[in-house]
Amino acid sequence: MITKKVNKKNLVLSIFAGFFVIFFLTFYIWHQAESVRIGYKTKDLEEEIERLRGDIEQLETHKASLLSLDRVEQMARQELRMVLPSEKQIIFEKSNEDLRQQNR
Amino acid sequence: MKNSLQRRVKKRTIILVMFSLVWLGALVLRLVQLQVINANQYRSIVLDQNQNTIDVIPKRGTIYDRNGTILARSMPNPSLAFRPPQGESINSQLNKINKISEICALSSDRLKSIQSQIEEQKPFIWIKRKIDPEEADKVMSLQLNGFYLEDEKKRFYPQGKLASHLIGRVGMDDNGQSGVELKYDSVLLGYKGRRLTFKDAKRRDYQHEIIEQPIPGKDLILTIDETIQYFAEKELAKAVTTRSADWGIVIVSHPGTGEILALANYPDFDLNHPPSSIELWGKIRAIQHLFDPGSTFKIVIASAALESGRVSFSDVFDCSQSQLYAGKIFRDHDDFETLAFPDVIIHSSNIGTIQIGQRIGEQNLYDMIQTYGYGQKTGVDLPGEERGILNPIKKWTPISLASLSIGYEISVTAIQMLQAINVIANRGVATRPMIVKNIVLNREKIQKQPYEYRRVITEEVASRLIDIVQKVTEVGTGTAAHIEGYSTAGKTGTAQKYDPAIGSYSTSKHTASFVGFAPVETPLFSMVVVIDNPKGLFYGGQVAAPVFREIGRQIFRYLRIPPKPIPPRTFITADNRRPQDQ
Repeated sequence: MITKKVNKKNLVLSIFAGFFVIFFLTFYIWHQAESVRIGYKTKDLEEEIERLRGDIEQLETHKASLLSLDRVEQMARQELRMVLPSEKQIIFEKSNEDLRQQNR
Repeated sequence: MKNSLQRRVKKRTIILVMFSLVWLGALVLRLVQLQVINANQYRSIVLDQNQNTIDVIPKRGTIYDRNGTILARSMPNPSLAFRPPQGESINSQLNKINKISEICALSSDRLKSIQSQIEEQKPFIWIKRKIDPEEADKVMSLQLNGFYLEDEKKRFYPQGKLASHLIGRVGMDDNGQSGVELKYDSVLLGYKGRRLTFKDAKRRDYQHEIIEQPIPGKDLILTIDETIQYFAEKELAKAVTTRSADWGIVIVSHPGTGEILALANYPDFDLNHPPSSIELWGKIRAIQHLFDPGSTFKIVIASAALESGRVSFSDVFDCSQSQLYAGKIFRDHDDFETLAFPDVIIHSSNIGTIQIGQRIGEQNLYDMIQTYGYGQKTGVDLPGEERGILNPIKKWTPISLASLSIGYEISVTAIQMLQAINVIANRGVATRPMIVKNIVLNREKIQKQPYEYRRVITEEVASRLIDIVQKVTEVGTGTAAHIEGYSTAGKTGTAQKYDPAIGSYSTSKHTASFVGFAPVETPLFSMVVVIDNPKGLFYGGQVAAPVFREIGRQIFRYLRIPPKPIPPRTFITADNRRPQDQ
């Protein structure tokens, strides 16, 4: 029986190459899987952002309706019993320009 | 023996091959029939069974006032739809519909329409568009097969009645039907997208894929100021109800730019619950209703008189007697003697103005009316603006010149009157009224709408007219418009309404109006007030001028412009004592 002597160096290289191929394929698959996972996550986050934007818009609109002048006046008059001030009760704030001129 | 066996085998083989060939041929023919001849039909059946392309309606743009207050915004609001499950009997489907009809408060007409669609075996049926969320929850909790909620948007108006005619309303498919919503529909609407939906064997959606992204509509920033609009609407409503008038209009603008700060029509309506009658929501009276302007038109006559040089400031006119022109008697609202040119306008003498009109002549007057923009659209960016009625000279009768001089035989809109007073306020320059200030292209970029100017009268003539209209509110017919502590200017108008029933002008129905601006030196706002058919008091100076004053006072307060102190009314006396004597 003739046996061929195995070159140790070649064997190591082959094992190393095998490991490298396995590692490369594993990395590739992991990379692909991770990309898909991140893609889903990004999509979810984008959807979440859109949802939150929608919520913000909804809250802004609700705030606008709560602060509508008609409603505010009704509340002031009916619930808080407020009345409009007379002309004499109104004091206009002086602007910075007015104050500067007064000090000169 | 062997040969006979071989023959039998051969015979059977041939039969088997022949049978196989026939079977294969039949198979091929059937395949050709399925894949080639009826391919389109089967493709569509398959596509219908496992996928569906749906239009994705883009989000309609938001409308803001000039300070960023939301006036109209589209909010998510699902619609209830029904996709009949395969194999389910029509009776079973009808039972389901009957079950939910009470929850959804479907009208009998709507219910009948849905039932007939089921009987016609329609694959998709709207049950209730933009359904109330509570109703939707109740229906979905029943877990009836075939019912589902489709994402849609509903227009919501947080300010309710505010600027209802101006903003306008949208239809069920979010398309503008009136006001700014209609005028800027293409800008607000955006572009539809398309979505591919995959369905399982039971025709349930299991995956969505956007084929074409929808492009949302652009936002609009109006020139309207929510607060000034509120003042205008409140005061207008008060005036119309206290005077038992039919309706009223107030428009407030910034004369220098033509920006409309408020546009109020009364009666108004709640945009979130619009009335069914198009008469109540579809007409913007401020730009569509035509009426005789009456004495407010005298500012055009005065402009023509001064611009043509036919009348000078010092000319006097005999206004003591009623005048007969072409068989018609013209009278004044008060007893006057002789009046100087400015006083004719200040006290709104019809007799004096008719004499001025005669001096101006037909052509000069016609040219000035046209230069002011009467008989033409102002170009305001709202739908359905009327151009008014101004007859060409060749259609004038012998009475036309006199009638036009006092604001009859011409039909105008309130916005045309506002544009005319803006010419005076701007020292002779007309501005195009505008409603939309900016279009928001995206989060960073805005497209500014351009201002438009044109000179109508010279600055000198305008300055003289300003002196006259200022006096109108100080000592003339418009004193009720004067705001204490501020300089005001304006012109009153009272026109008899044309009554089609009697074929002439009514003596009991009037249109009271006032146009003016303030402060005179650097006008911050101009305003037109029109009150239709007031009962009791009916003069513009009594009915419309106070509305100007009240809105104007509130605008000054809102803009934090203090009144100028009135100098004390004391006598200046000489003191002959020397300082050491004191």
